[in-house]
Amino acid sequence: MAQAQVEQSRPVELAQPEKPERRPIRWWHIVVYVFLAVFTLTSIGPLIFTFISSFKTMSAVLLFPPTLLPQPFVWSNYTQILANPLFLRWMLNAFIYAVGATVLNAIFSAMAGYALGRMNFPGKNLIFLVTLSVMMIPNAITLIPKFLVASNLHLINTYFALILPAMVQPFSVFLMVQFMKSLPKELEESATIDGASRWRTFYQIILPQVKPAITAVVILTFQGAWNDFQWPLVALGTQDMYTLPLGLFFFKSAHYTEYNLLLAGSMFNTIPILIIFFIFQRYFIEGATSSGVKG
Amino acid sequence: MATQPTVPSVASNPPLTPEGRRGLMRGTGNRDPRKRADTIAAYLFLAPYLIVLLVFWIGVSLYGLGLSFFRIDLGFTGAVFVGLKNYIQLFNQLANPGLSDFWTSMGNIVKFTIFVVIGQTILALVLALLLQQLKRARGAFRTIFYIPAVTSSVATSLIFLWLYNPDGIINYILSLVHISGPDWLNNVFWALPALMLINIWTTGATFMLYFLAGLQDMPRELFEASEVDGATNLQTFWFITVPLLRPTIFLVVALGTIGAFQMFDQAKFMTNGQPLNSTLTPMLEIYNEGFLNGGFGQAAAMSVVLFAIIFIVTILQRSFIDPGNNQ
Repeated sequence: MAQAQVEQSRPVELAQPEKPERRPIRWWHIVVYVFLAVFTLTSIGPLIFTFISSFKTMSAVLLFPPTLLPQPFVWSNYTQILANPLFLRWMLNAFIYAVGATVLNAIFSAMAGYALGRMNFPGKNLIFLVTLSVMMIPNAITLIPKFLVASNLHLINTYFALILPAMVQPFSVFLMVQFMKSLPKELEESATIDGASRWRTFYQIILPQVKPAITAVVILTFQGAWNDFQWPLVALGTQDMYTLPLGLFFFKSAHYTEYNLLLAGSMFNTIPILIIFFIFQRYFIEGATSSGVKG
Repeated sequence: MATQPTVPSVASNPPLTPEGRRGLMRGTGNRDPRKRADTIAAYLFLAPYLIVLLVFWIGVSLYGLGLSFFRIDLGFTGAVFVGLKNYIQLFNQLANPGLSDFWTSMGNIVKFTIFVVIGQTILALVLALLLQQLKRARGAFRTIFYIPAVTSSVATSLIFLWLYNPDGIINYILSLVHISGPDWLNNVFWALPALMLINIWTTGATFMLYFLAGLQDMPRELFEASEVDGATNLQTFWFITVPLLRPTIFLVVALGTIGAFQMFDQAKFMTNGQPLNSTLTPMLEIYNEGFLNGGFGQAAAMSVVLFAIIFIVTILQRSFIDPGNNQ
């Protein structure tokens, strides 16, 4: 890898007279391509094969040896799933959870980030320190008491049980603080002289500047809520309130051996998030990397 | 700080350093009505966050700790203070760990964590190094490699239920090299490794990004120097890349450990801890104890023990992998 890097930085004229040195690089390239091919296959192979197979009949999906293409090609798995009125309800519930948590978390974490990152007030350092420590608290410790608190507040089996605990997340606040701190100091100084209120300063001057951080928070929150399985499992009780991942869990128990239906069902969970991923992939990756500061 | 002139108007003195300004503010304190208004404004901005922080993070954590000293049978009796009884009961089970669901799950998760963390760290590093080699299409391959991390645990569980099926694709591929594969998820020995593989597959993709970021931060000159000194690729990797990546390796190993110790989704979704408790994880046992048996106090004690173990392991990892970092 060092050679590849060095070669890149070397001026073009120098590259020619050093032909013998290129040999090991070419051998190295073959290894790189083989690995690339293998990992490409393992990364997207299962998903693509699942997608193709979701158009197979029940007997075809379990053929041994397996066939690549569906013969016959059927839509029935999808029509059968969509004929189940609960399934669309589950998608709607998952969507409400994801959008609710995402919108609130984006607004509230930006507000908190603004206060912690750009204002001075007593208690600021303590709150930031608590934010950092709280990020280390694992799920393990909060799952049971969170359920009991939600239960005492009569939130169980409502959208509030899903959205309220997720409506401001310490990690999102941390991300916002870091981003707000990096903005130049002069930004709101002129606005303060103009007599603009704090809220207007935040809304009109700061928010447009932190769009990348907000996008990262939006994507991470949406993905987390859309894919969440554990908390809905604990917090929801009746089938009509299930989110899609939880609904799929019970769908799986009901159709245990009908892999054709299970595969088609998994696509309802996967395809929306993949579409969002392809549109916003840069922010996905920035968001995921910025969580690296977490440790 | 002390050398800064104490001019009351901030606006007329733009070159103040942040430290200088903070000093100024502390000096004027709450007597200045504008500062007080600022404090009120700051707390208004923070209000939603503080409520959630106090209720769903701090409150809930303390509640969990407190719960572990109580016996609660929901619906039967109120909470009864039992002191350390829940913990004593847990540690008494250590005398015969094979009969205790909790310690069986602990044994499983230790095996699981060791293999998953090693596997995902190596996979993540290999993927990142591979991308680093590319001059063209690096972004495209990064996207491809990241896809397993975007897919939900439930969707991957469904997909792998099918792939691991005794007549599934994985056994078909094995049959091509004349290995007859087991019934993965119903086999006491193979069920846990099957779950390990899924976790390595999904988390390796996430951690790849951390290594990519780490690799991009490396000083070029070092690699040029090692090239001049005639170091081989392998030597450069082992003596320059790996030591420089230490902080990233620690981060990946620590986050991987914390995540792996709390594995729940696949164990609940795919195997429900079976066969014969071979895929029972502590989180699943906590869930079962709390929500199926109604033993919230006992479950809370298990949570605290699990948290303590995760915490100790993370500290130990830091001192082994990244001893220079005393943050």
